[in-house]
Amino acid sequence: MTGYLFRRIPTAVIVLFAASLLIFAVLRLIPGGPEAALAGSDATPEDLAAIRHDLGLDRGFFVQYAAWIGSVLTLDFGTSYQVGGSIGDLVSFGLTNTLVLTSAAAVFAVALGLALSLAATIRPSTWLNTLLTGVNAVAIALPTFVVGIVLIFLFGVRWRLLPAGGTPPNGLTDDLWITAQYLALPAFTLGLPAGAMLARFLTEALQSELTQPYAVTAIATGASRRDVVLKHALRNALPSTITAFGLIVGALLGGAVLVESIFGWPGLGLLTEEGISARDYPLVQVLVLLSVTVFVLIQLAADIVHAWLDPRIRLAGAA
Amino acid sequence: MFRHQFARTLWALLLALIAVVGLSSCRSAVDAQQGPVTGSGPVVRGGELRVGVLGDLSPAKFLQIGTGGLNGHIVANVYDTLITLDHASLTPRPSLATGWTLAPDGLSLALNLRRDVTFHDGREFTSSDVQQSLLAYLAGPWKPQFKRTAAAITRYDVTDPHRVVLSFAHPVGNIFDLLDSAPIIDAKTLDGLKAGRTFNGTGPFEFASWTPNARVTLVRNNNYWGGSPALDKVTFVEGNDPKSLYTRLRTGQLDVVDPIGLTSHDQKLATSRYGFRDIEFTGAESEVYVGVNVANSALADRRVRQAIAFAVDRERIMTDVYQGAGYPVNLPWPKTSPAYDASANHTFTRDVSKAKAILAGLPPVPPIDLDYSSQGGTSRIVAEIVQSNLKDVGITVDLVPNDPTVHSSKLIGGEFSGLWILEHAFAQFTPSTLAVSAYPFNAAKNASNFVDADYAAAADAAWKTADPSSPEAIAAYRRLDAVWLKELFLVEIGVVVQHATASPNVRDVGWDRRVQFHFAGTSLTNPDRRS
Repeated sequence: MTGYLFRRIPTAVIVLFAASLLIFAVLRLIPGGPEAALAGSDATPEDLAAIRHDLGLDRGFFVQYAAWIGSVLTLDFGTSYQVGGSIGDLVSFGLTNTLVLTSAAAVFAVALGLALSLAATIRPSTWLNTLLTGVNAVAIALPTFVVGIVLIFLFGVRWRLLPAGGTPPNGLTDDLWITAQYLALPAFTLGLPAGAMLARFLTEALQSELTQPYAVTAIATGASRRDVVLKHALRNALPSTITAFGLIVGALLGGAVLVESIFGWPGLGLLTEEGISARDYPLVQVLVLLSVTVFVLIQLAADIVHAWLDPRIRLAGAA
Repeated sequence: MFRHQFARTLWALLLALIAVVGLSSCRSAVDAQQGPVTGSGPVVRGGELRVGVLGDLSPAKFLQIGTGGLNGHIVANVYDTLITLDHASLTPRPSLATGWTLAPDGLSLALNLRRDVTFHDGREFTSSDVQQSLLAYLAGPWKPQFKRTAAAITRYDVTDPHRVVLSFAHPVGNIFDLLDSAPIIDAKTLDGLKAGRTFNGTGPFEFASWTPNARVTLVRNNNYWGGSPALDKVTFVEGNDPKSLYTRLRTGQLDVVDPIGLTSHDQKLATSRYGFRDIEFTGAESEVYVGVNVANSALADRRVRQAIAFAVDRERIMTDVYQGAGYPVNLPWPKTSPAYDASANHTFTRDVSKAKAILAGLPPVPPIDLDYSSQGGTSRIVAEIVQSNLKDVGITVDLVPNDPTVHSSKLIGGEFSGLWILEHAFAQFTPSTLAVSAYPFNAAKNASNFVDADYAAAADAAWKTADPSSPEAIAAYRRLDAVWLKELFLVEIGVVVQHATASPNVRDVGWDRRVQFHFAGTSLTNPDRRS
């Protein structure tokens, strides 16, 4: 196993190094630089040159890269060009908000997926199944921005039941009931397609379980369909659904970018959008590198678990 | 079996009861944020004013005008300036300076300072703070627009702590624009200001907190020299999209939205249909224009530029796009400017036959790019109208959308290949400011690549005339007008009057020529609307 780790970890490090170089280079290929965003339209070319100098952007590419990567390795992420604050603080604030939103959306998705799937499986009437299939299809097909805008109009503007956007004035932890109300619409918007997809996975898994001999026998001997589903089939159907749910959670994090923008929820999505539009190089570099690092670490962990479980993997290439 | 069902029903009823009782005793986020939609009455102290703005605070450009609404609103409410310019005229009004004397030769200005002013940390304000503030204004990291004016100050006499004498390299016609714009900051905490940590001013509100990407909160300065403000606190709520701010205003989550926070259409809708209050910024206008790169071979001939000036339908743009919030012009001056000349604005009105007649005697004009900023949407509509107008006279235009940063970058670098749409400000200040502080008009180097010795001389003469309303100054402005109307390196479309929108619950919102809110005299008719 140690040998496998010695082979696998350097690969991950090389991937991260290449990604950091790519991120650093690609950002500088985007037309317009941070100096134009900082100077505004009444600046002169001399002002731009002065800002580039102050930011160190007039130095060589590799000098700039070495300075940046050196500070990142010491966990000093630098200072945002636009906001001026510590990038570490900005990212942790945005990350907290994004995690709160995606967690709420995930809870909603699980509740919705379970409810739809169990309803369709326990009471397999034609009209209910047709209805649920239709609802499922609509929930998956509707673009997030359409759902978000319709919800804002109905619940925020027309009926005034829930806040139309933003975050609780006194923070997320001051009054959890107020926070829940602010979260309701964005979490529903984000969680709706995820819940519908989850319902499809679970329904298919449950239907498959109900064709197994144990389930057929139980129903034939008089056990209610509900008991068979809830006490036996569900437990057996969950592992494959949980695997699918893992993928859906990844999609939730990606989808949060758009939902944050629609509802003015200050998470990583909004931070990234603002960073790119202001050409805030250090901020965007850290945000993208963070997502690459998370992805690489998850891959690494998955490979290590696989290798631990399967000797053929960990011994391959060792000879 | 029956017992099971009964127990299950009982449990369900119990849970439902708990839920109903629980929810009814909880606070509603909507109720907590809503105020009355109508109301008026005496000034009542207290309450929180929630102001919607687009974009976050950006300390790196803190003293730049128009590069972020929130910066300006913080400058206007946490800091004071030496004077303030009157809305209707350019007359300076006392603020931290109680009086002033300009030397007859225009080479020095003595200002008497208030004696009862302290910074928020308790330190007394003195004349050396004026010197330190103006030096910090110049030093950056920000690139403020009046830096040429500040750089013309050659000496500061601060021997008397309550009087400062500024000496100039030459008479400076727009010195009061600088003194109206440059806030008095605390040099001792300058590093904190640059880092966005410390905002120590002398203004009516103290900086309390900043949650990046979310909100900035100011609290009342009880020791304010101008009297303690009525509001307990002001919270600036950041939005990333005008539609989102409009929705939050309509649903009672916001009390005021600043002019760049709403589209003209939504602003009009809120005030005409939903009873919101309109705050008009007459005296803080901006101007929309078609820029022309005279280095483009198709546009090098002045007659082509004249044909463009005759082709543009200014009336339609001002009526349809800006919903009547402005008026068409040929020159950049708003009606409130001493340089405004109504008769000059009839030089170019839409006249398709005249434009065609001019172009008939010229070689065919090849297709020209027309750049516009993709932010918002207003520029795109203006660009489409101009494209259609030019097609009517036989000029083909290709639209080029840019994100705001690329648009700025092209402007400053003079890299627009043909035409572009943009708004400029600074015509609302002393007229000479336009030619020395607004880059599109900069006589030394500008986005149009227009260089002309007469223009440079006229701009210099206007700037170096000490009294900006003297006959000599007016003559200098007329020289600038003549160059603009003849050379047409910028084809002005119209003056845009900015509008903000407020709930009827909000009274007496102040503002300045930089489109910044001043809340020192603002109050809420029902400040206890929320707990």
